[in-house]
Amino acid sequence: MADLIPFTRRSFLSTSAKLGAVAAAAPYISRAAEVGAKGADTLNVAIIGCGEEGRILANAAMPIPGIRFAAVCDIWPYNLTRTERLLKKFNHPAQPFEDYKDLLANTKDLDAVLIATPDFMHAEQTVAALKAGKHVYCEKLMSNTVEGARSMVLAAREAKKLMQVGHQRRSNPRYQHAREKIVREGKLLGRITNISGQWHRAVSDDYGYPNGQAIPEAKLQKYGYANMHEFRNWRWFRKYAGGPVSDLGAHQIDIYNWMLGSNPRSCIASGGVDYYKNHEWYDNAYIIFEYPTKDGLVRAQYQVLTTTSAGGGYHEYFMGDEGALKMSENPRFTKLYREARAPEWEPFVAKGYILKPETGEGAAAPVKPWEKPGVKKLAGPAPRGATVDVRETAQLSAWDIPVTLDKAIHQPHLENFFDAIRKGTPLNCPPDEAFASAVTVLKVNEAIAAKKELTFTPQDFIA
Amino acid sequence: MNAPRFQHEAMATFWELTLPGADPAYARQAAQAAFREVDRLEGELSRFIEHSVISRANRLPPGGTLTLPPDVLACLLLAAEVSVATERAFDPAFRSLRPPELPPELPPYFLDPETHRLTSRAERLDLDLGAVGKGYALDCVADLLREWGFTTAHLNAGSSSVLAFGDESAAGAGWAAGLVDGDGTRVAVPLQDASLSGSGTDEQGEHLMDPRTGQPAAVRPRAWALAPSAAQADALSTAFFVLEEPQIREVCAAYPGIGAAWLAADGSLRGAGTLAAAVATGQRTRA
Ligand SMILES: NC(=O)c1ccc[n+]([C@@H]2O[C@H](COP(=O)([O-])OP(=O)(O)OC[C@H]3O[C@@H](n4cnc5c(N)ncnc54)[C@H](O)[C@@H]3O)[C@@H](O)[C@H]2O)c1
Repeated sequence: MADLIPFTRRSFLSTSAKLGAVAAAAPYISRAAEVGAKGADTLNVAIIGCGEEGRILANAAMPIPGIRFAAVCDIWPYNLTRTERLLKKFNHPAQPFEDYKDLLANTKDLDAVLIATPDFMHAEQTVAALKAGKHVYCEKLMSNTVEGARSMVLAAREAKKLMQVGHQRRSNPRYQHAREKIVREGKLLGRITNISGQWHRAVSDDYGYPNGQAIPEAKLQKYGYANMHEFRNWRWFRKYAGGPVSDLGAHQIDIYNWMLGSNPRSCIASGGVDYYKNHEWYDNAYIIFEYPTKDGLVRAQYQVLTTTSAGGGYHEYFMGDEGALKMSENPRFTKLYREARAPEWEPFVAKGYILKPETGEGAAAPVKPWEKPGVKKLAGPAPRGATVDVRETAQLSAWDIPVTLDKAIHQPHLENFFDAIRKGTPLNCPPDEAFASAVTVLKVNEAIAAKKELTFTPQDFIA
Repeated sequence: MNAPRFQHEAMATFWELTLPGADPAYARQAAQAAFREVDRLEGELSRFIEHSVISRANRLPPGGTLTLPPDVLACLLLAAEVSVATERAFDPAFRSLRPPELPPELPPYFLDPETHRLTSRAERLDLDLGAVGKGYALDCVADLLREWGFTTAHLNAGSSSVLAFGDESAAGAGWAAGLVDGDGTRVAVPLQDASLSGSGTDEQGEHLMDPRTGQPAAVRPRAWALAPSAAQADALSTAFFVLEEPQIREVCAAYPGIGAAWLAADGSLRGAGTLAAAVATGQRTRA
């Protein structure tokens, strides 16, 4: 064992190895082949809002060839520094800014911005960036108000710049396959009559922050925040966002509209602040929409619950008279079922639209993840609760979708945005469609407050 | 002592944090941030999540390459170090399908730390960080808790990996941890700024493959590793489970700071390196 690597707390290689310098690890270390486009094709990009989602977007965008992060912005130094460091690790020359206005004014040759701030900032920042001549990728929900969302559509139109809203399921190849091949071309579901959808998650504590990392009060107020608690837990407060209906529901209700190619004509909903003591927004809601489609009416139910992990996570379940399709960003929850009265599905297997039961991603996994073989025993606190089996066994009646997402979940949507800039590829979530989804989502909170059915005209969904 | 304790389930096991010395509400928020970090890492490291980085690596075509986020790169570099140090008694990719022409001394993938890329040399790569990922996540949680100002904490992942920093009491002896030997005797191992991890067979006697031979290992019933980081302890305990005694002693002699303990065929508890003293003279109680 020549050339020992000292065991320190962190990997020795990650901090001090130059290629080939550590002979003992040499078999694992080598120079990767050059990849990607360089040069004229490069797009200069900035991130505004470096919280959890901002970092996810950074990680999803960095592997895309020709993307260069030129700037980052966040009002909270704690998050700003973290993201700046992340980008610099990958040799992006990201210049940090506190105020997005300074970023827009001072970043040379900036092509596009990715906006991942709390929802109430989306309209202001998007409009300013568009006016400054930048293309914008803005996170969902487009805005916390209909007027805000409308101002974004108009600004994009006026500036003749692109705007993509972050409903990333629309770019997920599995969702695209489901819509194009299974639902539209193959018509495997027959006539879609109903949808049910849900996002269930367990109780979560409010977010905090490390001691010493609080933003001074005057600065918080300058940027529109009442205090650190609201700054960290903005999702739950009316001033900044639309609560779980918009935070979680936005993704899925957008997919209802997208899959049906339609907007609802009515909404009836019930919800309340029934559990959490210091939140403003409804912590649970049940919603029923009616969608007029060319094949007939679709009645669609959606529920968002924030106090239970029971009931199967999150999915959108499209039910027709010949088949049912359960879609989820999590492939574990994705399934396709055939009604006995439907024509045989074998021809669709031959066409590559679907897979025979138990052969796809849903097939049972042979080994338990994260487990070394056998039980491992240390004396310590006693185990709490049972371990969970990560993979459920596939149902026999279920069919599979033969498409695998081979990228980080946000990467295809970002690629679509960058392709739209570079090559004019149509956007998967353009401003007018995002506007219709924003209206659909925002009307739910209105319906809950009104305690009565709200009806819509097609005009309501047009900016 | 009733320091606040917090539980979570992730990576198919339970997690428990003990966070003394802080206001309980503050400790709760820190624990929540810590558990979100564990969930995030699971999303990158689990080979059972379709779009995780490891799953994507496992779908690479021969010669295919993938950009790794910093944590995946760091975890794989650590795994490479342990693999080299144990002469592949720990090997996160031994189930890979190797092309016949690939020299046996080359692993089925390589890393480029400068461009953060992984490149497959396999016909089908089969990376499995199950024996290092939990430990790596414990290390990240420890960093996060230090950032939140904690000077002492006890972190437990499934009772198979434990990491502790600072002191449990004013006595300055670290945190009480221990090994349980074949007949149920608990041998005390004080833990301070270090991690202890164990591997063992259960009653059903599941088979553990020896990565070096691809054959079921002639295993001892149980082995432990003590190391500066939980990722190392996690991976090393897997290696010590299949290594012969002389090789375990060799690894401990070559790498100061590492400890090993194992149950010998005669049921006795043996120790080497930084665990030698504890095994020889540590306080014994009925577990
Ligand atoms: N597409 C998805 O899957 C997905 C997932 C999560 C969040 N999101 C969306 O991303 C956005 C951010 O959510 P998050 O979870 O990252 O929240 P977060 O609280 O973790 O991050 C928000 C960040 O914005 C910063 N910020 C606040 N006001 C700012 C301002 N005026 N200028 C610059 N920075 C400012 C905050 O300091 C913080 O770092 C939201 O719109 C949310 O709906 C989308």
